[in-house]
Amino acid sequence: MSASLPPSSSETIVVEGLRVLDRRRLRRLLLLAFALAAVLVLLAPLTATDQADSLGVPQLVDRSQIRILTTVAMFVVMASAWNLVGGLTGYSSFGNVAFFGLGAYTCAVAVDAHRLHLPMAVAIALAPLVPAAFAALVGLPLLRLRGHYFAIATLGTAVAVGEVVKNIDYLGGATGLFPPILHRADLLFLYLMVGAALLAVLVSRLILRSRFGYGLIAIRENEEAAGVIGVNTTAYKVGAFAVAAALTGLAGGVFALWNSFINQELGFSLDFNIQMILMAVLGGAGTLFGPVLGAVALELLIQNLAGRSDVAVYAQIGLGLLLAVTVIFLPRGIVAFFGGGSRLSLTHLRRSLRETSV
Amino acid sequence: MQLFVQQVVLGLLIGGVYVAVAIGFSLVWGILNIVNLAHGALVIVGAYLTWLLFARARVDPFIALPIVAVVLFAFGYALQRALINRVIRAPLFFTLLLTFGVNLVIVNALLVIFKSDFRSVTPSYSGSGFGVAGVQVPYIRLAALGVAGLVAAAVGWLLNRTRTGAAIQAVGADRDAARLVGIDLRHVYALTFAVAAACAGVAGGLISTIQAITPTAGEPYTLQAFVVVVLGGLGRVGATVVGGLVFGLVETLGQTMVPGLGAGWANAIAFAILVLVLIVRPQGLMGRIA
Amino acid sequence: MTALLSIHSVTKRFGGVAALNQVSFDVGEGEILGVIGPNGAGKTTLLNCVSGVYRPDAGSITFDGHSIAGEPPHRIARLGVGRTFQVVKPFASMTVRENAAVGALFGASHLPLARAFVAADEVLELVGMAGKASLPVASLTIPDRKRLEVARALATRPRLLLLDEVMAGLNPVEVDEALEMVRTVHRSGVTIVLIEHVMRVVVGVCRRVVVLHFGQTLAEGTPDGVLRDARVIEAYLGEKYARRLVGG
Repeated sequence: MSASLPPSSSETIVVEGLRVLDRRRLRRLLLLAFALAAVLVLLAPLTATDQADSLGVPQLVDRSQIRILTTVAMFVVMASAWNLVGGLTGYSSFGNVAFFGLGAYTCAVAVDAHRLHLPMAVAIALAPLVPAAFAALVGLPLLRLRGHYFAIATLGTAVAVGEVVKNIDYLGGATGLFPPILHRADLLFLYLMVGAALLAVLVSRLILRSRFGYGLIAIRENEEAAGVIGVNTTAYKVGAFAVAAALTGLAGGVFALWNSFINQELGFSLDFNIQMILMAVLGGAGTLFGPVLGAVALELLIQNLAGRSDVAVYAQIGLGLLLAVTVIFLPRGIVAFFGGGSRLSLTHLRRSLRETSV
Repeated sequence: MQLFVQQVVLGLLIGGVYVAVAIGFSLVWGILNIVNLAHGALVIVGAYLTWLLFARARVDPFIALPIVAVVLFAFGYALQRALINRVIRAPLFFTLLLTFGVNLVIVNALLVIFKSDFRSVTPSYSGSGFGVAGVQVPYIRLAALGVAGLVAAAVGWLLNRTRTGAAIQAVGADRDAARLVGIDLRHVYALTFAVAAACAGVAGGLISTIQAITPTAGEPYTLQAFVVVVLGGLGRVGATVVGGLVFGLVETLGQTMVPGLGAGWANAIAFAILVLVLIVRPQGLMGRIA
Repeated sequence: MTALLSIHSVTKRFGGVAALNQVSFDVGEGEILGVIGPNGAGKTTLLNCVSGVYRPDAGSITFDGHSIAGEPPHRIARLGVGRTFQVVKPFASMTVRENAAVGALFGASHLPLARAFVAADEVLELVGMAGKASLPVASLTIPDRKRLEVARALATRPRLLLLDEVMAGLNPVEVDEALEMVRTVHRSGVTIVLIEHVMRVVVGVCRRVVVLHFGQTLAEGTPDGVLRDARVIEAYLGEKYARRLVGG
C-alpha cells in the first residue's frame, strides 16, 4: 500500500482475517476474473467440433457439460428478464413462466410440419413476439394491482394459461408438441442460448443507464412521486413487462427447439418460475449482474445435485431451504457484498437481519 | 331435481371444510400481512397426521383432530418464531418466497416419508349416512361441516372475547402501537400463525376422511383459500364463510354438470374471475379499502 | 392578466363527504399565492386535484389554456405543473443528484440523460444543496429532504409550483432559510402556490391569500386583510375567541 492515508472505512472491504483491500480495485479484479472465466468457458465447447479434432485440439468439454452450460445461459436470460420487472420496477411477478411457455409453444408451432412449417430462424424470431403481445394485453389490468395481489394474480395467470394450453389440440393438447430433432446441434443451441443471454444482459444494461431505467426505478421507489414528476407509470410498467416477456419468450423458444419437446408441464413449470425469481434475488435484484451471478451459481448447484441423487425430492428440499436462507440472510443478494457500504462479516449479517425482523 | 338438491347439499357440506381452510389463511393475511403459500402444505400435514393416527393407532379421525390441532399449533408457532418473523419487515414478496420455500420443504419431506401413494381415512361409518326427503346426507360430511363450524366459532371467540385475541387484533391494526403498549410482537405473531396452522391441520384432518390424500394435494387449497379470502374481503369472517360455502357449491355443481371438468379447470376459472374482480374492485367483492 | 391556473367550481367527494365544494379561484402568472385554512379544510385535496392525483367530481381546472381536470399526473407535469408532498417522497435508493436528475429527465423539461444531470446540479445550487449532491437520501436531515423535494420538482422546469406545507417540521431558523429558498425560486420565474400553516411565511411572501374551510373558499385577499377577517378567525380559533378578538 502507498504511504498515503488508508482508504476510509466505507471504501474498504474487510474479510475477517484477511488483508484490507480497496473496494473499487477488488470489484474491477473480480469483474475481470469473471469475464475471463466466462470467455474461456464459452470458447471451450468449440474443442468438441470436428474442426478442432482435425487440428489435434483435445476435447475439453463433453455433451453433458455443454447441456449444463446451455441451461445456465437459459436461466441467465430468464433471471435478467424477471429482474426488469421485479428488481428494477418493484413489481414482483410470480408468473413470468407464462411467457416462457408462450414463447416455447410459439416456436414449436412455427416449426411444426403439420402447422406453420416455418424455418427455424423465423420461428425463433417469432418466439419473443407472442409473449410480448400477451404481456402488453394482460399487463394493463394486472399492473394496476400491487404487492400480494399482483404476485398472486400473475401466478394465477400463469397457471390459467398453462391449463388453457393443455386443452387446445392445435397446441398438442396434453401430449405436447415435438419439434424436429436436430442431430449434432449441441453447439448450435448452446451459442443460441448464450446469444440470448448476452442480449438479455445488454438490454438490461441499456435500460439501467437510460431514461427508461430511471423511470422504472422511480416507480419502484415511489410510484406516486414518479407520476407527478412526469413519468408515464402505466406505459413504463407495461413496457418493462413486455420487454421481460419478450426475453423470457425467446429463451422458451430456443428451449423448445433444443429439447425437441414441449408440453404444459415443461413450458409452464412452476419450478422454472420460482427458480428465475430465486436467482435474481439471490444474485441481487435490481442490479445488472445480480441475476447473472444468481443464475450461474444456482443452476450449477442444481445441476450438481441432480447428478448426485436421482431423487428429485431432495433437490426440491434443498431449493426450499436455499430460498429460506437467501430471503432471511441475503435479502440484497450476493452482489450487495461488492456494492456500497457493506462488509463480508457477521456483524453486517446480524444488522440486516435486525432490519427485517420483527 | 332431486339430483340437483343432492349436489347442493354435498356442495355446502364440502364448502364447510373449505371455510375451515380459508379461516386460518385469512387470519394470517389479515393480522400478519402474510400470504402463506405453505398453507396448503399445513393442511396436508394435518391430513397425514390424522391418517397416521388412524392407520397405525386406530384412533378415530374425529378424536384425532384435537391432537392434530395441538401438534400443528406447536409446529406453526415454531415456524413463525424461528423463520417467518425474520422477514416481516422485509419487502412483501420476501415472505412469499419464504413461505414458498417452506412449502417446498414440507411437501417434499412428506413425499420422502409417505411416498406419493394415495391414502384415505376410512372409519367404519364412512359411506353411511341418513336420508332426508330423498337426499342422502353422509355422516362424515355432516360431522365435517359441524367441526368446521366449531373451528370458525372458536376462532371468533378467541379473537373477540379473550385478552389474547385483543392483543392479536391490536397487532393487526397497528403493529408499532401494539408494541408501544407492551405487547410482545414476536410472541403474538407466532401465536397467530400457530392458531392458523391448527385450523389448517384440523381442516386437513377433515379432508382426509372425505378424499384420498397425497403430499401434493395441498397446493389447490392454498390458491383456493386465496380466492375465497380475496373475493370475500380480508378480515371479514362472515364473508369468508360465505365464500367457502359458495366455492364448495360451485365446484360440486360444476363437476356434475360438466363431467370432463378436472380440478385444474376449476382453479383456472376461479383465478380468471379473481383477476377480473381485483381489477374492477381491488378490495375484493365485499371488502373495504384498508 | 389571464390566469395561469384557473380553478372553477371544483368539487371532490369521498364517500358522503365533500372534501372540496365548488372551490373557485385564479392564480396569475408570476404570483405567489397562499392557501391557508384549518386542518381538514381540503388544501391537500385541492393540490391533488390540480396535480392529477385525484380526479374532481365536478368543476374545471385550466392551466395555461389546457383543461387538466381528470388528466393523469404525468401529463399535467409535462404541461408544466410541479408539486411537492407534505410527507416527502424521495427516491430512497438514489443519490441527491439522481433524485434531481430524474425530475429533469421527465416533466416539462424532458432532457436527455447527460443534460439532465447538468440541470440537476443547477437546481441543487438554487436550493442550496450543491455540496450534498452525491449523498444518499437516507443521510439527509428533514430540512434537506424538503429542499430535495423542491429541487426535484423544480428540475421538471415547471411554470407553476405547488408547495404542500414545505415548512412543516422546521424550526424558526430553518423556516427562514426555506423562506429565502422560496423567494429565490420565485425570482427565477416560477409561479408558486403555497399551502401553509406557518402564518409568518404566508404574511412574509404571499401577495394574495385564499382561505379554505370545510372544502369551501371562505375568504380571498391580502394576507393582512384575510387574517383580520372575522370569519377566518372564527374558522381557526372558534366563535368565542373570534368575538373576543374582534371586540364584541
